[in-house]
Amino acid sequence: MNLLREKPILFEFYNLRSSICAGAFWALLLVLIGYTDAWGAVGCELNDPDRDVARFFPKSTGYKTHYASILQRGGQALLGKVETRLGDKFQGIYETIDVPYTIYEIFTNNKRVGYIHGVNHKGQFGGIQVFLALDLEGRIKAFYIQKMTSKYAAKFRDPNFGKQFVDLMLKDFNLYDVVSQKASGKMEGIKNPVPEAEFDFRAALRATKKNLVLLDEFGFLPQPSQKAE
Amino acid sequence: MITKFQVAYKNLLRKRVRSFLTLIGIALSAWVLVSLLGFNHGYETALNRDIDNMGFQLMVMAKGCPYEAATMMLKGGTGLRYMKDSILETITREPEVEKTTPMLIQVVFDPNKGESGGIAAYLGVEPRSYSAMKTYLKFRQGGWFTDQNAYEVVMGYEAAELETREVGDMILIPEKNVELKVVGVLNRTGTQDDGTIFVPLKTLQKIFDRSDELTTIGIKTKRDANINNLEERLFKLPDVQVVSLAQVKETIMGLVSTAKVMVLSIAIIAILIAMVGVINTILMSVHERFQEIGILKTIGAMPQDIFKLIWMETIILCTTGGVMGVALALVLSRLTGMIIRHVLPYSPRGGLVVIDIELILITLVVVLGIGLLSGLYPAWKAGRIRPLEAIRSEGNR
Repeated sequence: MNLLREKPILFEFYNLRSSICAGAFWALLLVLIGYTDAWGAVGCELNDPDRDVARFFPKSTGYKTHYASILQRGGQALLGKVETRLGDKFQGIYETIDVPYTIYEIFTNNKRVGYIHGVNHKGQFGGIQVFLALDLEGRIKAFYIQKMTSKYAAKFRDPNFGKQFVDLMLKDFNLYDVVSQKASGKMEGIKNPVPEAEFDFRAALRATKKNLVLLDEFGFLPQPSQKAE
Repeated sequence: MITKFQVAYKNLLRKRVRSFLTLIGIALSAWVLVSLLGFNHGYETALNRDIDNMGFQLMVMAKGCPYEAATMMLKGGTGLRYMKDSILETITREPEVEKTTPMLIQVVFDPNKGESGGIAAYLGVEPRSYSAMKTYLKFRQGGWFTDQNAYEVVMGYEAAELETREVGDMILIPEKNVELKVVGVLNRTGTQDDGTIFVPLKTLQKIFDRSDELTTIGIKTKRDANINNLEERLFKLPDVQVVSLAQVKETIMGLVSTAKVMVLSIAIIAILIAMVGVINTILMSVHERFQEIGILKTIGAMPQDIFKLIWMETIILCTTGGVMGVALALVLSRLTGMIIRHVLPYSPRGGLVVIDIELILITLVVVLGIGLLSGLYPAWKAGRIRPLEAIRSEGNR
């Protein structure tokens, strides 16, 4: 039954406006809380790939996006392998076998020049999104924290912190134990910019190692890195 | 003895390709019709379910459209509008009101979200009244806040997943630098609650210095209450506006009905084309069997026998085509739903095309009715064929 039919036109207009406002209210609420309609696990993507790719690879002319998950690429067996290489178990509702990973393959004039890959990681006060830009040999060209909730987030997002990761490779991270925090080789050179935020510093290191291990297992890093294992 | 049905069936088989193509035409028309009616039913059901999941039928907000507020916020303005929480008491006293739940939305700018920052939102609620309206909320971990003034949060499943939070973890409200403890993570619900961070109302008011202020009040009315009367009284309250979710539904359905009228027009055209196809097929069949019908009459067939025979052919064609169309609609209902979902600007969760037995019967009756109408003229024409004229025409045909 249309109850509005019995009312004057002005009232109807007001109700229509209110309805649109209500719709907008919920839309606004959904936008504000960053609600996603997807029912799968949450992945980690660049907020603005066109801008970010050009920032990390200034000479790039294009990129291709690949999606991969441990579930698709090898299931439980691959998960076990990744955990072994990482030196820690996957945990929580954010680190599951079906998390979709997004790998950006970067090109300059149709020639592949590198990759960008990000992972979500648990920080002290929220999720941290750690992105790495790598050349074809698997050497880190840029380290970027896209999102971080912390009083000290600015320190970790500062380019000076990211510079410590430049030129490191998976073989360097193999000398870092994510559980005991023991580091050797070039890994000893990475310093925590905020001693009060040790949790987030460790999270950034674990996220970087996980990022590299996943890229290797998904077949994006060259073979020699696997031989070094 | 051979029956009229068998004769009609055999006649149709004599021109298999033509009969098959006619069948396809009818089946496609029936498919469009079933899918359209199924969409009408499914969409309304799904929309009702989405609105019911909101838990309340009416919302009271501070005057001013939140859409305008969002625009203001994007331009660096103050954003959300507020009303005094004393209004809650006034509303609760209304006889039609069964339950109310006060809410406060607060938004902060987080400079460390992305390259140029982003916003984070929090919803202040009273767990007792909020959960009473949203009975489907179930906890995956933990539970509601320990106290109305506690520095705690409950997170929707997707919010927890994105922020990598579990019970016992802490979250930080940027700008305010206030730490809150996660005490509960909700199960997935398929609603907007999945992405929400809930904070005790009093705590959120205190953190944002918004004591005694609210952004929204959700109202659940009593069963059989006259919502119209209540709305009119609430409209008289100063500086607030009332939004009925029934109106929201009506507005959405109004928008969708425009699309439905267009699709219905296409369906009617498809049915008319199918009807012409049936008439054409049967007329051609009558024309080709001109002599045969004449001979049948010569050996004693009455005009009504010929009429029934030809009419039977249309019934067979339409019934078979109708059943094929319904089967097609059943098999492709999910795909149809996906296509509709892709096209519509807003589509509720769940199946958009719901085909039940009543709908199937209605479609079959409609298709059969159209078939019977289409068969009238060819059958009447066949019944009027004169035997002598038919036999004499042998040399001319």
